[in-house]
Amino acid sequence: MSAKEKFTSISPAEFFKRNPELAGFSNPARAMYQALRELVENALDATDVHEILPSIKVVIERTSQEKEIYRLTVEDNGIGIPPHVVPDAFGRVLYSSKYVLRQTRGMYGLGVKAAVLYSQMYQDKPIEITTAPVNSKRIYSFKLKIDVTKNEPIIYERGSVNNDTGYHGTSVSMYILGDWMRAKSRVYEYIKRTYIITPYAEFYFKDPEGNVTLYPRLTNKMPTPPKEVKPHPYGVDIELLKNMISRQKEDTTVKDFLVKEFQSVGEKTALSVIEMAGLDPEKKVQKLTDDQLSKLVDAMKNFPDFRPPSPEALSTIGADLIELGLKQTFNPEYVGAVTRRPKAYQGHPFIVEVGLAYGGDIQPSEEPTVLRYANKIPLIYDEKSDVVWKVVEEIDWKRYGIEDEQLPLVVMVHLCSTKVPYKSAGKESIADVEEIEKEIRNGIMEASRSLKTFMTEKRKEEEARKRLLTYLKYIPELARSLSIFVTDGKKELAPKVQEEIQNKMIDLVVTKLNIKDKDLELFKSYRVETL
Amino acid sequence: MSEFVSKVDKEARSRAAETLKKNFLTLLDQLNRGEPLVMEIPKRTLANTVYDEKRKLLLLGEEKMKRSFLDMNEARRFMQTVLMGSIIYDALVNDEYPTIRDLYYRGKHSIILRDPKGKTHEENTWDEQKESDSVIIDIEVFTSLLREEMLILSKEKGKVVGDMRLRSGNDIIDLSKMGHGAYSIEPTPDLIDFVEVNADYVLVVEKDAVFQQLHRAGFWRKYKCILITSAGQPDRATRRFLRRLNEELKLPVYILTDADPYGWYIYSVFRIGSISLSYESERLATPDAKFLGVSMGDIFGTPKKKAYLSERERSSFIIKAKETDIKRALEIKNYSWFKTKSWEEEINMFLQKKAKLEIEAMASKGLKFLAFQYIPEKIQTKDFIG
Repeated sequence: MSAKEKFTSISPAEFFKRNPELAGFSNPARAMYQALRELVENALDATDVHEILPSIKVVIERTSQEKEIYRLTVEDNGIGIPPHVVPDAFGRVLYSSKYVLRQTRGMYGLGVKAAVLYSQMYQDKPIEITTAPVNSKRIYSFKLKIDVTKNEPIIYERGSVNNDTGYHGTSVSMYILGDWMRAKSRVYEYIKRTYIITPYAEFYFKDPEGNVTLYPRLTNKMPTPPKEVKPHPYGVDIELLKNMISRQKEDTTVKDFLVKEFQSVGEKTALSVIEMAGLDPEKKVQKLTDDQLSKLVDAMKNFPDFRPPSPEALSTIGADLIELGLKQTFNPEYVGAVTRRPKAYQGHPFIVEVGLAYGGDIQPSEEPTVLRYANKIPLIYDEKSDVVWKVVEEIDWKRYGIEDEQLPLVVMVHLCSTKVPYKSAGKESIADVEEIEKEIRNGIMEASRSLKTFMTEKRKEEEARKRLLTYLKYIPELARSLSIFVTDGKKELAPKVQEEIQNKMIDLVVTKLNIKDKDLELFKSYRVETL
Repeated sequence: MSEFVSKVDKEARSRAAETLKKNFLTLLDQLNRGEPLVMEIPKRTLANTVYDEKRKLLLLGEEKMKRSFLDMNEARRFMQTVLMGSIIYDALVNDEYPTIRDLYYRGKHSIILRDPKGKTHEENTWDEQKESDSVIIDIEVFTSLLREEMLILSKEKGKVVGDMRLRSGNDIIDLSKMGHGAYSIEPTPDLIDFVEVNADYVLVVEKDAVFQQLHRAGFWRKYKCILITSAGQPDRATRRFLRRLNEELKLPVYILTDADPYGWYIYSVFRIGSISLSYESERLATPDAKFLGVSMGDIFGTPKKKAYLSERERSSFIIKAKETDIKRALEIKNYSWFKTKSWEEEINMFLQKKAKLEIEAMASKGLKFLAFQYIPEKIQTKDFIG
């Protein structure tokens, strides 16, 4: 368990206070949803990434009658936060433990801080954090705000108590201006969809109306957590390169830098790339000029012989867990999922997973219900502008045996990547990237082929059953009618003759129609009466 | 009750019961051999209706359909056919005379299917009488037994008077002693025995009112004929009765209808058979029947003969033909059995004049004219269409 994370300050900004909509805080309803989402995703990153089965508690309470101020609390049983980094983790924008290459839910290091900034824009109370790292002897608590002009945390209170029970985890509460009536359905949808792909987590949710919903843990099986990997040369830009170089020792050469810091680069490859860039391999990397850096990036992007990026950094959910989640939530007739093989775009590895659920309790509608996920986060807003929607819209479901006018169909698509190409910092829709689009299409088609097999089988069975019931319905009537010709008015003979004819007819139908034993059982469980 | 039932009735009954039984028991034979249950029934479609030039009859063609119980789409109809067969058979052996409405009610009940969860699915053996009527027709075709032969009754419609005696049931009826009334032609004309007939020909009039007028005027007595009315579109019993008079007693048959396409069609049904029920023609049609009138020539005259109506009478009696009459005339012109020289002349004259006339108009000119001039003169001069 890697309980320790690296924390680095990478850039100051009060930019997001002025542009809250960029981070998804455009109005009270959306802000409420967004704040909840940031906290829940941090909670999950603190648990399953570290192989802890998540137990997450979410409580929203209304605290003011005049203004719509809500207290939002999210509590997890994760790895906790070391007390000395808590103020910066919540109070300094673009300070993150996540600026490494591995698939996590949050990425930009600004989500929760944007929520904090939004919180203090409309009310006075600071945010409250209680946390205990794994094996910590004490439980720490903080109350803090962000000093917007200095991009620094302001600490209002701090304290600690003994940790007698071995508790670890984090609880964050913040007061925000919200709009529960408008946010309600999205919030519930968000929790439901999160639960679908984390069936190994349990959630407790209490809404401002006092309704409590429990989402029980369905399995103890967790996906393999992602590994940290070095960046792939294809995915590098000048800013990242500068940042990496700033952390090098003074005497590191360009060649050593490439070999040590990037995947798929050995001695020989490094020399070829440097030659392509027209540089001296023995030059100290910190001495490179901007112009030389630019040439190096170009060479890295255009070098033809790198091995593809390693998918080790990716963490898929896996077909089993997807099927489990869909089954539990929708109680469908059919469920199936596929995890595709890793692919890459622009130096970033990615994997597409697709789950399909059909029939049962799924509410039929003109278009399939689409569940989009990126790095295990559900995407709720901006559905129609997402590349997933574009692909789903083009699928001809009739080709897969779905003839319904109204489709009782759920299509779930999960994209995991070390870099998800979001359309905006609000992280609500995935951009049209050709490689990804193609892979999503192939994934849906692969999953649909199994659905088709199921549908064909189902149709056959339905027809056989329908025929069977038709005969079942008519055979007694027919036997009775025919017995009249045989018994010639001798009524006492009728029941016996009728039964004989009836049994022969059932035998006939069963042999001629190749009725399976299973259906025959069904056949026998029905009763026919005459009125 | 049985001692009052006539012998012919009993014989007809047992004949029909045997035939029904024989046909339906073939299904049991199939079952005992482990073969799928199949009824072979001649197709009752217009495409399978053939006009037999030689016999001048509208007949069912060779095409047969196989009604298989194992065919999902046929299963219900199959069940209905066997059910109806058994009801008719039961009625026959129990000395009953059901009407088609009785048969409908006797067979109508619900079949209830109860699934393991107790949910029920209900279905009626048949819903409307149309359905059971159609099944009766299937049985007639399947067994080659007409409903009259199976002693299924229908409403009596046709009437007859004339100098003849017949046996119906255990009674001898004298058709010359009906007073102002007439003998209703029973729904089972095959059970009638012709005991004594003193007539030269048969005259059928479409209109009941004209029939009564001719009867009261003593027409049949004076001209030694059997007088019949179908009171509109003829029912099966009237057609069968007429056919027997023609076939067994060799009496010529003349038919008098309105001068319009509807009247022609009534004539056609008597003579050729109806299109929708062509399977019965073999026993019901009278191919020798002649169309006596009223013809277009009677109204307007032809190069060969003078019109029966004066200019003034024409203008007051004639009714202008409607769009539907013209349409009907064009249809009839297409039937192969109307493709003769005299019929083409008749129909063309109608299309040209666009005029029709009811027989009553001839009677308004004077009952005496109709009874003692128009009809006898036309028969004597053979002024009819065959």
